[in-house]
Amino acid sequence: MISRRALELATAILTGSFGVVVVVSSLDNGIGWSSAGVDAGTFPFLTGIIIVLGSLYNLVRGVMPAATLASVPIAITSIELRRLAGLFVPAAIFVAAIPLAGMYVASALYIFAVLAIPRQQSVPRALTMAAATALALYVVFERMFQVSLPHGALAAAFGF
Amino acid sequence: MDNLGELLHGFSIAITLPHLALMVIGVLLGILVGVLPGLGAPNGVSLLLPLTFGMQPVSAIILLSSMYWGALFGGSVTSILFNIPGEPSSVATTFDGYPMARDGRPTTALATAFGSAAFGALIGVILITFLASWVAQVALAFGPAEYFAVYFLAFASFVGMGGAAPIKTVVALAIGFAIAAIGIDTVSGSVRLTMGVDELVKGVNFVVAVMGLFGIGELLVAVEEEFHARAVSSKIEWREVFRAIGRLPRHSVALLRSAAIGCWMGITPGGPTAASFMSYGIARRFSRRGRYFGTGEVEGIISPETADHAAGTSALLPMLSLGIPGSATAAVMMGGLMIWGLNPGPMLFVDQKDFVWGLIASMYVGNIVAVVLVLLTVPVFAALMRIPFVIIAPLIVIICVVGAYSVSNSYLDVVMMLGFGIVGYLFKKLFYPLAPLVLAIVIGDKAEDAFRQSMLMSKGSLGIFFANKLVTCLIVAGIALLLLPLVLQLPRLWRKPASAATETTAQEAAREKVII
Repeated sequence: MISRRALELATAILTGSFGVVVVVSSLDNGIGWSSAGVDAGTFPFLTGIIIVLGSLYNLVRGVMPAATLASVPIAITSIELRRLAGLFVPAAIFVAAIPLAGMYVASALYIFAVLAIPRQQSVPRALTMAAATALALYVVFERMFQVSLPHGALAAAFGF
Repeated sequence: MDNLGELLHGFSIAITLPHLALMVIGVLLGILVGVLPGLGAPNGVSLLLPLTFGMQPVSAIILLSSMYWGALFGGSVTSILFNIPGEPSSVATTFDGYPMARDGRPTTALATAFGSAAFGALIGVILITFLASWVAQVALAFGPAEYFAVYFLAFASFVGMGGAAPIKTVVALAIGFAIAAIGIDTVSGSVRLTMGVDELVKGVNFVVAVMGLFGIGELLVAVEEEFHARAVSSKIEWREVFRAIGRLPRHSVALLRSAAIGCWMGITPGGPTAASFMSYGIARRFSRRGRYFGTGEVEGIISPETADHAAGTSALLPMLSLGIPGSATAAVMMGGLMIWGLNPGPMLFVDQKDFVWGLIASMYVGNIVAVVLVLLTVPVFAALMRIPFVIIAPLIVIICVVGAYSVSNSYLDVVMMLGFGIVGYLFKKLFYPLAPLVLAIVIGDKAEDAFRQSMLMSKGSLGIFFANKLVTCLIVAGIALLLLPLVLQLPRLWRKPASAATETTAQEAAREKVII
């Protein structure tokens, strides 16, 4: 279970640290005024400062027991969290597998895994859908639009 | 009258066989993304974008804008038949559309929705036809300072009128600006904000951001709730269609009022979602049958639908004539314009007459095509909703991954897209607005360039923003909009905190739902 407050805090910290990174790295480009006009780092520097300040404000509002947060104390219940993970974790593994397995193999495996493992569909049906997905991708991108999707390190090793 | 001549010329471009075919394809794809939860107009359009790189700009924009119309219509179909809004902007349509359909009048509800939507779109296009070239003519005299002032006004109106918590809007905008600044700086040529990652030199493509924010993000929000697609009958009775559309003129006050709200919200970047909610709220307050709203009232369908489409259409006006998109989808289209080598803004009306008027003419035709197609295909797309979400979700993930990759054949983009997905989910969950974020990514560079050029002209003095009446007005209006939320807070602070607290809780909860 994740409370609304915890989520607000985490997001404010996330945006705030992005702001800090922007501020720090824009200092490399120089801020202020030079012979060539406004320095390249000035604009990002200012936006970084705004992000940091805004995030601090959101952080403080998240900590304070404000009326708005009291109305929805729980942002994500444990059931919802499980559903989220059920979608996101396989998707992340799929993306991680692309460099090795290539887009076609990875997406076929992905479809097969999410359909067959939770027993959503029978194994033969999941296999068919997985194969159809990979084939459709190949036909649409490689053939129709001549966009080459990554074939993967494994395919390269086998000489494709 | 020049405009009418140009428009006729536009029709000669739009009404050709290939372009009509593109409209049909675009509208069908649009209805598809509109119907599917987790895919909406912004990422539908950005998914299609890489496939248009080789096309003529006119054909490409006709395809993309038709998709936009299709998505707007498709969102209403699921709202009415399943009580599941396929698009954020059709949430308000569920309030009266679904009860009416459940009462056994699905055809009436759909026909009323499509009829008023078409009316809203028509008003939007007429507005563009007569106003766009005039605005562009005014804008032709703009210098960098005026441009910056207009950008500033656009961003400020998100903060002042967007409906989201103002500081959250500011943070979203600023993050967008920072993301836009990543990569090579166009003015000095130096590399910025790459944080040591060489691949970031090319910058972060907005398509990648949109795909993650709207695609994966929306999917994560959607998966939280289990869908019960309890459909009412999706059969269309054609006689009832014409009868329902024939009854529309009786509600001409609601139609006109909603269209006006929609156009206003579309041109100022309030967006279709805010427009439909606002229109629904106003209709409930002013309609004689206001207290029956929520039980299947005709005006409860007319108001949000008309405003939604009027806003969606008129959002293209500032994009065409000023280079400032009025909605997230318009921002994506504008990104497309830049990729095709066009420069969005007033010069389009001088250099690219065929493009502009072809597009405007295609809006008239495209919306007619959309109404006909959506009526014909309601049963087909309603059947799509019965496919379990567990099958649709991984397919959408794959579409987003492939889409992000194909933008510039980079694996890093795919990883970033997934990261944007998490950000999109968090932002949606906590009511940070996404449209200003996308808008800032698309036009952040231009706003910055305008600022730096004006600084060069004035040798570093901010006085250039108060040099003439026009700039001063724009800047002052922008500052006023920025301060608006603060001013609105003041009376609340004066009131007794105890009595105010209970009231605001309910209000805030209701208000937060409005934000995309």
